[in-house]
Amino acid sequence: MAQTAISVSDFSFRYREAKGYAVRHLSFEVEEGGFLCVVGSNASGKSTLCNALVGLIPHHFRGKSRGSVRVFGESVAERSVAETSSEVGFVFQNPFNQLSYTTDTVAEELAYGLCNRGVPRDEMERRVIEVARAIHLEGLLDRNPLELSGGQVQRVALGSTLILNPRILVLDECTTQLDPLGSEEIFDIVKRLNSDGMTIVMVDHDMERVARCADTVLALERGNQVALGTPREVFGDEHITDHGVDVPDYVRITRALDRAGLAPGEVELTEEPTVDRVREALGR
Amino acid sequence: MGNEIDEREAPRLDRWLRSLNPGAKLLVALLLGVAALVFPGPALAGVLVLVLFAVAAGAGALGSFAKVMFGFGVPASVILVFIQGFYGSSNATFIADFGFARLGLEGVLAALKTVGTVLVFLGGFFLMNRTATPSELVADLTERGLSPEAGYLVLASLNVVPQMRRRMATIQEAQTARGLELSGGVVSRLRAALPLLGPVVMSSLTDAQERSMTLETHGFHLKGARHTTYRAVRRSRADAPLVMAAVTLVVLSVVACVVTALGLVSL
Repeated sequence: MAQTAISVSDFSFRYREAKGYAVRHLSFEVEEGGFLCVVGSNASGKSTLCNALVGLIPHHFRGKSRGSVRVFGESVAERSVAETSSEVGFVFQNPFNQLSYTTDTVAEELAYGLCNRGVPRDEMERRVIEVARAIHLEGLLDRNPLELSGGQVQRVALGSTLILNPRILVLDECTTQLDPLGSEEIFDIVKRLNSDGMTIVMVDHDMERVARCADTVLALERGNQVALGTPREVFGDEHITDHGVDVPDYVRITRALDRAGLAPGEVELTEEPTVDRVREALGR
Repeated sequence: MGNEIDEREAPRLDRWLRSLNPGAKLLVALLLGVAALVFPGPALAGVLVLVLFAVAAGAGALGSFAKVMFGFGVPASVILVFIQGFYGSSNATFIADFGFARLGLEGVLAALKTVGTVLVFLGGFFLMNRTATPSELVADLTERGLSPEAGYLVLASLNVVPQMRRRMATIQEAQTARGLELSGGVVSRLRAALPLLGPVVMSSLTDAQERSMTLETHGFHLKGARHTTYRAVRRSRADAPLVMAAVTLVVLSVVACVVTALGLVSL
């Protein structure tokens, strides 16, 4: 049986000087090797949740918190962010803010977290090459990170997190500022990491992608947990859009076909079965 | 590596300078400046400035070096010679009379010494900076025991200005696309650029917060861990003799200063 990687229990948080809670009574678990996607409109508390998972709440962002956030059984509130970072990697939205601004080359940037852990140079060099291969950065190792494109910098940011061998990877809208190609590149890497056993928590607005890859979807609305389940359970709920949560186009199409009696059946989440249902409808 | 080709094509003296340890170069630059500062009179500063010019020429950097040195040296000399030469309190020997004021030798020498000393510091740091990157220098200093926080502060500060410039350019492009007129005279350009300062400063503050979060999540404050460096710091057999020579120069300058102060020799 898989170990529980993340356990969030009745967690609420209010930022200092804020009037209301950013998240309220969140409770869920993610098993090791799981893929959780967090969805919801702006200001629904997605980033607050990510910050809590890596310990930035309560260590970096001060405020009032209730409940608990545990990573492999350890409360993130009782460990420093630096300690938690050994197990939980975090990739932010803006790639350029994830550079250390202290390095001249991509190789040095990748190794930055290892330097902070006192890893010997030969070990660092080995791991830099390993990670560069895994995320296709081999040709960029001698380049200045500040001269790269947004997509390349985001891969550097991801690499500098992966080099620390985290067991959990938290990605907060990390593809928002990238073009579709750069975005898919990052996502392919994340999918591969997950199939290799890494636990993924990802905030994403691309619902087709969420439906394709997540094994669990958590939907938030103004800080409240409004749905938790498999993509089919969450997106199949007719009322989920009332909570500001978008659904994949395939869900809309197949639901419309079902309602019109043209191709009755459950909603579909991906392209192929949707095409089959459309064919079925046209065949009639 | 692109750099290797550049380095191979560079003059021999430039390659030699690059092969030196960055910490040693920093120390030598500092010690030369201190020697010029301690030595009585402007003579040593003058000699050292000439030596630095010769090194810069040998390293193929005379143009940029001269630009920096003259860019500071000429206006500073004119201002200081004017102030100290005409109005210095130590003036006793007058070398020229302009009617409205007399030019004192002591004041002129003091001005030349001040300018010369600053030029020695400036030239030394210019050559050091040209032949060692800041991250290489900080890597070396961290290995020698500099706290990682101090090292980070130095490097991050050096990157703040270029980063703000990039941010300014992005905001400027966005505003120009919406019709903001940034051409014309200096005054009109300044007037147009002023409203951009707010967004630049505010976004830089937001960036700083996110960047501090990045540092945290990369284990910057991990307790009990000794920081290591990825970059192999260059070391050369010439490092120690160079530093020793610079230390000797400082010692000789101190001796010269004491001897002069005691009135045993007049320099």
